[in-house]
Amino acid sequence: MTLFVAGISLILLAGLTVAVFGRHPSFGQAAFRFLVGLGCALGAIPALAVLAGRGASDVRIAGAVPGGEWVFGIDALSAVFLVAIFVVGAACALYGVAYSGHDQGRRPVSGAHALVALLVAALALVVTARAVVPFLIAWEVMAVVGYLTIVFEPERAEVRRGGLLYLVATHTGTLALFALFAVWGNGAIDLTFASLAAHPPVSAAAIAVVLWLALVGFGVKAGIVPLHFWLPEAHAAAPSHISAIMSGLVIKMGIYGLMRVIVLLVSPPIWFGWVLLALGAISGILGVIWALAQHDLKRLLAFHSVENIGIILLGLGAGVLGVAYGHPVMATLGFAGAAFHALNHALFKSLLFLGAGSVAHATGTRDIERLGGLAKRMPRTATTFLIGSVAIVGLPPLNGFLSEWLVYRSLFQGGIITGGARFAVVAAVALALIGGLALACFVKVMAVVFLGLPRDTAAAEARESVPGITRPLAGLAGACIIIGLLPAFVLPSVFRAGSLLAGGLPPDMMPLIAAANAPVTAFVLALAAGIAVAWLVLRVLSRGRRARADVDTWACGYPLPPTARMQYTASSFAAPLLTLFRPLAGVSVKRTSHSFTTHVVDPVLAEFMLPGWRGVRHVADRIRRMQRGRISLQLAYVVAAVIVLLIYLVFRGGAT
Amino acid sequence: MSGSALAALVALLVIAPLLPGVAVKTKSVLTGRRGAPVLQLYYDLWKLVGKRSVYSATTTWIFRAGPVVMLVSVVAAALFLPLDGRAAPAAFDGDLVAFAALLALGRFALVLAGLDTGSSFEGMGASREVTFASFAEPVLFLCFLTLMLATGQLSLSGMLGVPLLAAWPRAAASLGLAGLSLFVLLLVENSRVPVDDPATHLELTMVHEVIVLDHSGPDLAIILYGSAVKLAVFGALVTEVFVPRSGLSAPASFVALLGGLIITAAAVGVVESSMARLRLTRVPQLLAGAGALAFFGLILLMR
Repeated sequence: MTLFVAGISLILLAGLTVAVFGRHPSFGQAAFRFLVGLGCALGAIPALAVLAGRGASDVRIAGAVPGGEWVFGIDALSAVFLVAIFVVGAACALYGVAYSGHDQGRRPVSGAHALVALLVAALALVVTARAVVPFLIAWEVMAVVGYLTIVFEPERAEVRRGGLLYLVATHTGTLALFALFAVWGNGAIDLTFASLAAHPPVSAAAIAVVLWLALVGFGVKAGIVPLHFWLPEAHAAAPSHISAIMSGLVIKMGIYGLMRVIVLLVSPPIWFGWVLLALGAISGILGVIWALAQHDLKRLLAFHSVENIGIILLGLGAGVLGVAYGHPVMATLGFAGAAFHALNHALFKSLLFLGAGSVAHATGTRDIERLGGLAKRMPRTATTFLIGSVAIVGLPPLNGFLSEWLVYRSLFQGGIITGGARFAVVAAVALALIGGLALACFVKVMAVVFLGLPRDTAAAEARESVPGITRPLAGLAGACIIIGLLPAFVLPSVFRAGSLLAGGLPPDMMPLIAAANAPVTAFVLALAAGIAVAWLVLRVLSRGRRARADVDTWACGYPLPPTARMQYTASSFAAPLLTLFRPLAGVSVKRTSHSFTTHVVDPVLAEFMLPGWRGVRHVADRIRRMQRGRISLQLAYVVAAVIVLLIYLVFRGGAT
Repeated sequence: MSGSALAALVALLVIAPLLPGVAVKTKSVLTGRRGAPVLQLYYDLWKLVGKRSVYSATTTWIFRAGPVVMLVSVVAAALFLPLDGRAAPAAFDGDLVAFAALLALGRFALVLAGLDTGSSFEGMGASREVTFASFAEPVLFLCFLTLMLATGQLSLSGMLGVPLLAAWPRAAASLGLAGLSLFVLLLVENSRVPVDDPATHLELTMVHEVIVLDHSGPDLAIILYGSAVKLAVFGALVTEVFVPRSGLSAPASFVALLGGLIITAAAVGVVESSMARLRLTRVPQLLAGAGALAFFGLILLMR
């Protein structure tokens, strides 16, 4: 833990340095890069040690703090999230320095860097806090700093709107969390997590209240449908490295919170597993359908976060069902899959957002209908984005495949046993549908943004981004590849987290689960090697014959080559699927004699949330009539309140 | 890893180009024509391998990598099938996810390679391919789940190997429905009638053929061969569900596999000569029907 504290201190110091040396940005930024990099590296060491099976001591702050001791500690669950936070946090902070370079002098760039450092530190404290008060403080710092980083360009209406939605949503969630801990902590010795675990809610009703509050409070943060309405707005509005932290890390805190509640509760009820499974399937399928309809690169990626949260929830749901029905292997696999997918999604989603930022930086637009042909102009961005796409779609040999495979395996494990848990296997079909649709969506993105011909001069004149931007991309892509190719090293660690959530696994079952590591590793390595060998063989065989690479694309017999305007657009590409899902997708189609475009509105936001808020405002206006600003009236209210209280006490009979 | 399973895999890879020929021959005979030789695809492959490739100036390395990734992923998927009727060369719990993901990887690579040309025709085909595939994937899982629940096994090697024979008397209806559903999937995944017409000459109506419009020479040969292997893999899958061969001796098992593949290819030909292609918007309904079949099979096992 000493290293962890040192790491956090260095990250905070980095933020302080860059803010203090705002007048000397070159020095401040150099120091910032160095300190953030060092701090994240140091902080990750104890997390990796815990994942490797070693213990870590707790940090305790006793004395004049509210709510009992303030405890900070790292267990296997925290460690999985800490690794994600430090890797993605470092990449995004370093990327941010290069990305905001052109805003230097026009905006408070140094302050923004400092906020990023503060955000990363707050995230790390959220997952290590072991008591309610420091947890909620870190949670609120994360939420508020998150807001401040989102509204980096407040002159854009879209940014103000996204930021406001985010702020409203996150505080609604926090309210639910206060209620959650108030209900749970009522009667416990103090507010450390250990005391909460020792004093779990007993009655079914109390458990239901706690779990529904957790689902709302953490669900808003995670972006579970229908609480996702703020997510695409906020994530698209923020600068790209902030979007990457938001989608990669901040929404994972909702998942972490749900997992922590499950750990503390020890034995969650059966219905909670089914609710998680259903929410997972709904979030996954709707998220990817909505993503398909987007033409704004960052909004599209944001909706994919909703989808991936759905996949994580499927794993969580399978895990809870495994615990509740008494199948430890199913439980461990499900929880391990969920934790692993949270880590993997943090890596590849931040990679994709940073890649989108690189594209937006080079072309000045996020509208994919105006892009195209960037693979030739921005080869590094294109290659890393391709790696991220393969990973997020869950294809071997990259990391996304492994975590989805674990979630599937947990569901399968449920399927072949007797008892109610076997019906969970049907969720595997939803997962398969999500996978198929995600593939369609990322084919669309890769093709329309990076392949073919540029559709606009902005894309035609694009240049590769500076190394300060492409290096973090390469680092994150490398992480996806390493995890993907060497599951034998990673899987035991995520099983540790999984078995922690499952309430411990009988020791004789661990080898049973671990037995699959070696063949999976052999499989991904063999696949990667097979592709490489086949590629080399083909190159060697065709060496004698020089291929022609200077012809036009075949235009099916027409004498003129295809032009950029004749290319398939993103709208056309997604149209068949969106037609099939039209009732769910909320898509409006605009057709003219020579063009076809689709536009999507989020049904939840447009049809429930906004009218709902108008209703709230209407009621609030009514209530405001009581408040006329006249002192006599106010005094009358006070007197009336006292009288009502007195009457209440008299009738209750306990006043004396 | 048993020798007989590897030998069967090698045999499958050698005879794969025969199957499209069998389908075409069946169709020709049934419609009163002579048809191309059964070995036509071997001749085509030989011719294409001897040519040089032509690449559009629009394309990148993705265009050249597509065919290779597609072929390797299909062959890797075949590794999970117990082609000798007993055990697969490769197996682990939940490897059906790997099987499905490998098919998806091949599709991803090939579709991106097509889109790399910037041609609207290829875009059209790619859009249709991924649309149908998003519905085909859940159906494939429904079939596998039925097999899984019928046999209690978590790997394809187990689901299709020795335990399948014992499962048939217990779960004949479910397994039959799953097998039927797999045959529909074979038609969809391999772009046969009623989903796609390999004999069409109009690019606007194509699905698979139009994606590979710009590939030529050895690259096209790899794609054609990879497609043949994919057809053989699905043929083997259907054969293994309907004909559990774990009780047979090795040579008899091999002959049964060969027979099953040829019968499946002939069945494809029969379907192609007896019905026209569906409208593109009807294909998801066909897949939903196949999914419903498999789902009934699954429900029967969940009683």
